[in-house]
Amino acid sequence: MCDPKTMRMEAEKRSLDRTDQEMNLVTIQDGIETAWDRLSSQQPQCGFGQLGVCCNNCAMGPCRIDPFGEKAKRGVCGADVDTIVARNLLDDLCVGASAHSDHGREVVEVMRETARGQAEGYRITDGKKLQRLAAEYGIPVSGRSNEAIAEDLANGMLEEYGCIKNHLQLSDRAPEPTRAIWEKTGIVPRGIDREIVEAMHRIHMGVDADYVNILLHAMRTALGDGWGGSMIATECSDILFGTPKPLSSEVNLGTLSTDKVNVVLHGHNPLLSEMIVAAAEDPGMKQYAEKKGAKGINLVGMCCTGNELLMRSGVPIAGNVLDQELAIATGAVEAMIVDYQCIYPSIPATAACYHTRVITTSRKAKIPGAEYMEFHPKTALATAKEIIKRAIDAYPDRDPNRVRIPGKPMKLMAGFSEEAICSALGGTYKPLIDAIVAGSIRGAVGVVGCNNPKIRHDYGHVTLAQELIKRNILVVETGCAAIACGKAGLLLPEAADQAGEGLKGVCNLLGIPPVLHMGSCVDNSRILVMAAKIANELGVGIGDLPIGGAAPEWYSQKAISIGTYFVASGVYTVLGIPPKIFGSQNVLTLLADGVKGITNSSFAVEPDPVKAADLLEAEIERKRTALKI
Amino acid sequence: MKTVFVRQERCVGCRHCEVACAIEHSLGRNLLSAIQEKKVSYPRIYVESDDAYQTFPNRCRHCDPAPCMQVCPTGALYRDEETGSVLVAYEKCIQCAVCAMACPFGIISFSQVHELDTNREVNTKCDDCIRRQREGSIPACAEACKTGALIFGDADDLIRTSRIDFTARLIGSRGAEISLPAVPENVSAYRKIMETVAGL
Repeated sequence: MCDPKTMRMEAEKRSLDRTDQEMNLVTIQDGIETAWDRLSSQQPQCGFGQLGVCCNNCAMGPCRIDPFGEKAKRGVCGADVDTIVARNLLDDLCVGASAHSDHGREVVEVMRETARGQAEGYRITDGKKLQRLAAEYGIPVSGRSNEAIAEDLANGMLEEYGCIKNHLQLSDRAPEPTRAIWEKTGIVPRGIDREIVEAMHRIHMGVDADYVNILLHAMRTALGDGWGGSMIATECSDILFGTPKPLSSEVNLGTLSTDKVNVVLHGHNPLLSEMIVAAAEDPGMKQYAEKKGAKGINLVGMCCTGNELLMRSGVPIAGNVLDQELAIATGAVEAMIVDYQCIYPSIPATAACYHTRVITTSRKAKIPGAEYMEFHPKTALATAKEIIKRAIDAYPDRDPNRVRIPGKPMKLMAGFSEEAICSALGGTYKPLIDAIVAGSIRGAVGVVGCNNPKIRHDYGHVTLAQELIKRNILVVETGCAAIACGKAGLLLPEAADQAGEGLKGVCNLLGIPPVLHMGSCVDNSRILVMAAKIANELGVGIGDLPIGGAAPEWYSQKAISIGTYFVASGVYTVLGIPPKIFGSQNVLTLLADGVKGITNSSFAVEPDPVKAADLLEAEIERKRTALKI
Repeated sequence: MKTVFVRQERCVGCRHCEVACAIEHSLGRNLLSAIQEKKVSYPRIYVESDDAYQTFPNRCRHCDPAPCMQVCPTGALYRDEETGSVLVAYEKCIQCAVCAMACPFGIISFSQVHELDTNREVNTKCDDCIRRQREGSIPACAEACKTGALIFGDADDLIRTSRIDFTARLIGSRGAEISLPAVPENVSAYRKIMETVAGL
C-alpha cells in the first residue's frame, strides 16, 4: 500500500473521527504497526474459536466440535456443543467480572488505608456519599469522624468479596420486583469472588454440563459485578475523589500540546492518576518542565482512566482504546502512564519508534519493554511526582520534525453521575418520568463498551447514538462509547439540535446534551442505580422500564459481564459484534429468546447501528405499551 | 483419480490443515520438534480469507496436464504414476519460479528443505503427502480437517455426492433424502453477521 490515495482511503476506512483518520494515515505512511494491521495479519481467524466450540480446558483436549454436525459431536470428556459453548461464555464472563471487581477491591483498600492515615495525598472528599453508604451498610455515623466511618465501610465492602452472609448489600438497591425475579430464579449474587470461584469450579470437567444451569450462574456472577464489584469501584472512587458534577472539557488527539510535556494517562483505575493530576499542579514540576524547554505540563486521559479523570477533574481526554497507538504516533507524547486493562502489550514497541516512555505502575500489569514504577498508596504522591519528572526528562528528546498533532480538540460536557442527573432534574426523577409518560422522551438507552478494529472506529457508537436521539430516546454512555460520541460533538448541549423535537425540548430546558457521559466502564453501575431509582419511583421492576442497552463495538470480556448484568437486571441489550456462542443453537435461543420469560429482557446481535436502533426502539415501545403509556 | 476435495462452505478458517501440513513435511514429523528445526517447515496449503471473513483452503490440485510441469526448464517437476501426484525433485530446482508463474492457483512457494544439504530455497509445493499415501494414510490436511471441508477420496465419488445432494435439494419438496446436511442455521446466522460487520 504505497499509493497516497489508497493510503488515505484506508485511513478513512479505519476511523470515523477526522483527527483519528489523520493519525491513521501517519501510521500507514510510516509503517507504524497498529491493531488494524494486526487484525489483518490474523486473518483468517479460527472458526472454532469464533463459534465458541473449541474447548481447551483440560489435558485430554484441546477438543472442537464440528459446527456442521458431521464429524466430532462431543469432546473427549463427552461434553456436547451446548456445554462447551456455555462453559466458554461463563469463562469469558468471569474474566470481565474479575477485572471490574478487582479494580473495585483496590479502591476500597485505598479507602481503608486513607481512613487509617496510611495513604499519602488521599482524603475523604465526598463525606455525604460516605454517610449515605454507611447507612446502607448499617454503620453508625453520628458523632463519628469520616475516617472512622470510612474504615468500617471499607471493611463492610471488603466482606462482600468473599462473603459468608450470602447476600450483597448493594444488590438491595435493585427494585423489589427485580430482586424477586433473582430470588425465584436462584441468581441472587451471594459474594463477588464467590460467584467467580464457583464458576471456575463449574467449568471444570465433570461438573456443570447443563447449559441452562451454566448460563444462570453466568447471570449470577455478572450481577455480582454490576451490583457488587463495579458499584463498589464507582462509589469508593466518588468518596475518595468526589462525585462527578457537570463540567466542560475537550476531547480527541488534538488535546495533545505542541509545546508542553504531554503525559497520557491510560488504563482504568483513578487511584494513581488522580495523584498524578495533583502532582502536576506542583509549581516545582512546572518550573522543571520550563527548565527543559517546555511551556508546561499537559495531562490528557485515555480510555477509562481518562474517563475517571474527565468526570471528576475535567482533564481533557485524548481518545478511546483504539487511540492508544495513534496518540503515540503524534510524536508528541513524552510518557504514557498505564495502570491496567486494555493496554496493548505492544505499546512499548510502538513507543520505541519515538521518544515516548511507557511507564507501568501496577504489580498486576507489567509489560516487557516498559519502565516500571510501582504504585503504593503510602507513597503515591511521591511516585506520581517521579513519574512526571521522567516524562519531563523525555521532552528534550522529542523530535519536532516528527510531531504531527491533527487539528483542534472538540469541546464536550461530562460529569453526569447519577446524582448529577437527578440534581439537574431538580432533585427528583419525576420530571424525567413525566417526560417519558408524556412521550416527549420515548425512553433511554445506555450505549457502552469498547472499540474493536473489526468495526470502523467509533462508527457504531456515534451512528447508534445519533439514530436514538433522533427518535427521542435519551442516550446515557460510559467507557469508549462516551469518548467516541465526545469526539463527534454529541456530548454538547448544542447536539440537542440533532435530537427529535421532544428530547430536544427537554435538553434545551435543562441545558444538557442529548447524550450524557456517565463515566468509566465500572460506572455502568451508575446506570443501574439510575434505572433502579426510576423503577422504584414507578413501583415496577427494571425489566418493565422502556430502556435498553447496547455495546456496538465491544471487544472485552468485561463487556460480556456488563451485557449479562444488564440483561439479568431486565435491560434488553444489543451487541454489535457477535459473542462466541454461535456454535450452539440452544445457547443462542436461550439468550435471544428464552431469557425473556425470566427477566423480560434478552440479548440481540446487530452490527448495523441503524438496525440496532430499530430493535431498541421496538423494545422501548413494547415496554411502553405494557406500562400503558 | 484420488484427490483432496474442498467443500468451501465447511471451512471455518481454523488453519489446522496448515499446521498438520507443516508438521508432516518437517524433519521430525512432530509438532514440538518441528517448531525448533533449523530449516523451518512451512505449510503447503493456504487458508486465505476475503474481506467478508469467508475462508478457502487453497492447495495444489495436481493438475494433469500440469502447467507447472510443462514450463519447468530442468524437469524438476514430475508425476508420480501411481498416485498421479505432481512432485518436485528438489536437487533439480533452479529457483526460476516459472512454475509459480504458470500455476493457475498461485500455490507454489519457495523455502529451504531438510532433504537438501544446501540452504537453497526450492519449490516446496504440496506433494499430496506422497509418503503418507505410500504408508497407507490419507494426506495430513484432510486428516486434520474436523469439519469435512477437506476430504480425500476418489474425485468421482466426491463429486457424485455433491451432485446427488444438489439434485436432492432441487427436488426436496418431493421428500428426497439429503445426504449432506445444509449449513446449520446458527452458522449461517454468524456468517451473515460477519458479512454485515465487514460491510460497515
